[in-house]
Amino acid sequence: MAPVPEIELRGVSSLRGGFEALSDVTLSLQRGETLFAMGGSGSGKSALIKTAAGIAVPARGEVLYKGKSLARLSAREEAAFRKASGFVFQDAALWSNQSIYDNLALPVRLHEPTWGKAEVERAVRRSAELVGYGQDLRARPAELSSGERKLIGLARALVLDPELLFMDDPTSILDEAAAARVPEIVDSLKARGRSMLIASVVSEFASGCADFVAVLLEGRVAALGAYAEAAAWTDPLVRGVTGRLRPRAAVPAWEGGLAGAWVSAVAESPAPAGESAASEGDEDGMSALGDIINDVDEGKEKP
Amino acid sequence: MLDRMGRAVIKWLDEFLYALGFFAQVLKESALLFRRRQVGFRVLVMQILFTGIEALGIAAAMALAIGAAINLIGSSLLAEFGQGKLMYTILIVVIARELGPLLTAFIVIARSGTAIATELGGMAVGHEIEAYVAVGVNPISYLAAPRFLGVVVSMLVLDVYFNIFGLMGSFVVVQLLRPIGFDEYFRSLFAALTPGDLLSGFVKSLVFGVIISVVSLYRGFSVERSVTEVPVAGIKAVGSSFMLCILADVVMTAIQYLG
Repeated sequence: MAPVPEIELRGVSSLRGGFEALSDVTLSLQRGETLFAMGGSGSGKSALIKTAAGIAVPARGEVLYKGKSLARLSAREEAAFRKASGFVFQDAALWSNQSIYDNLALPVRLHEPTWGKAEVERAVRRSAELVGYGQDLRARPAELSSGERKLIGLARALVLDPELLFMDDPTSILDEAAAARVPEIVDSLKARGRSMLIASVVSEFASGCADFVAVLLEGRVAALGAYAEAAAWTDPLVRGVTGRLRPRAAVPAWEGGLAGAWVSAVAESPAPAGESAASEGDEDGMSALGDIINDVDEGKEKP
Repeated sequence: MLDRMGRAVIKWLDEFLYALGFFAQVLKESALLFRRRQVGFRVLVMQILFTGIEALGIAAAMALAIGAAINLIGSSLLAEFGQGKLMYTILIVVIARELGPLLTAFIVIARSGTAIATELGGMAVGHEIEAYVAVGVNPISYLAAPRFLGVVVSMLVLDVYFNIFGLMGSFVVVQLLRPIGFDEYFRSLFAALTPGDLLSGFVKSLVFGVIISVVSLYRGFSVERSVTEVPVAGIKAVGSSFMLCILADVVMTAIQYLG
């Protein structure tokens, strides 16, 4: 019997401003898999990611999380789904009337109500350092550059170390160094068995972490298959998208190495008591973020 | 022609039913507000501060002027008919029953209605509301319910405040025209005051508060993609709130006097 997919879309169509942004999309993502949604502007990538994450409600069809329709989740199940998933918005979508600290702390306060102030602060600082943000956490989003806001958006999605990630064009509006950092973070998340649905126009990003590629054309899935097979797709419109797939070597590595500061921050501070209480063994909880970084920095072989 | 009219009616009905559903959701989340973990207490306090406290100055100035004007007009007109004693009844009826709730509503629409609609519209355009959904925060519970309660509570408080200052304004004019004692003035005023006057002002303020907050929230949440929709949402919130408040006022007054 096939395992229940982490996330599954069945015949999903969605409307945006009166036209069909997604049309009869069916796809699934198993635990630990990474699916790259590719396509040009207006092809429906954002609509796909938002519908899969339950942010947009489908006009037809249904989205299932671990076999259960998102539309029929109880309040408790929905809270569990939100805690277990993170979403990176194309334009960061930070809460402009809150400080960077509060932007990162809100999901923690919401889903870990028993954590004390110190534990929340530790989680916030770790996620900020994970994405390489070392500026003032009391700043407001308007005081940051668009690239910094995007990184904080990524940090917010990672602050609870979710098992399922939805990323809508995570490398857009980032400078070169930051854009190189994101694939490293994604690689490390994959190494930790996280499931990811990523929409991106940067094709090099897919190599090394994508298990599957879906090509979207005018809201329809024109091609769906293993990343390794994508090069063999012959449809000219599909090849117009997959023809840009190149190995990651074309992307310069982040010179600073992935969050060296992060490792030192972890070394400086002992793990909070609530951290182990909140996590189940070493697999979940904020400690997992430290492992992600250690895996990468020490050059461990990925499973 | 008939086809177009039919479509317009269906669209209007559709929007009306959607707005009713939204209102029901806001009511439900407001009732559950204090039982939820994700309580927007800070939002509630800030809303009361902005709508209720920061509007005290303009409400006081307006109430003093209106109270003074009613006294000036009333005292000269009523004196011609030898009905000077009716001045107190007129003051109570006009200020407590009619102008107090209505002018307070206009102040709240102008300040808070536009602020709520444009703030939420801006958040919608910046995908901030979607971001709340993504992390598991119910936007109706976190954004709408505290604003709804904040506006309703502020309306009630501002109306009481408006009434006090309106009657004080009248007292100032009385001192200039025909000085009487503070005790005598307010004793006569309270003698003319009935529980119906107080209830009428209270119910009107409550209804206006509900209308202003729900309309402004609905308009704000209706913004979808473009920043140009934001000022439009503000304008629509003001226009719809004015119209609905005046309509509700006429209906409630008719029920009071004709029922």
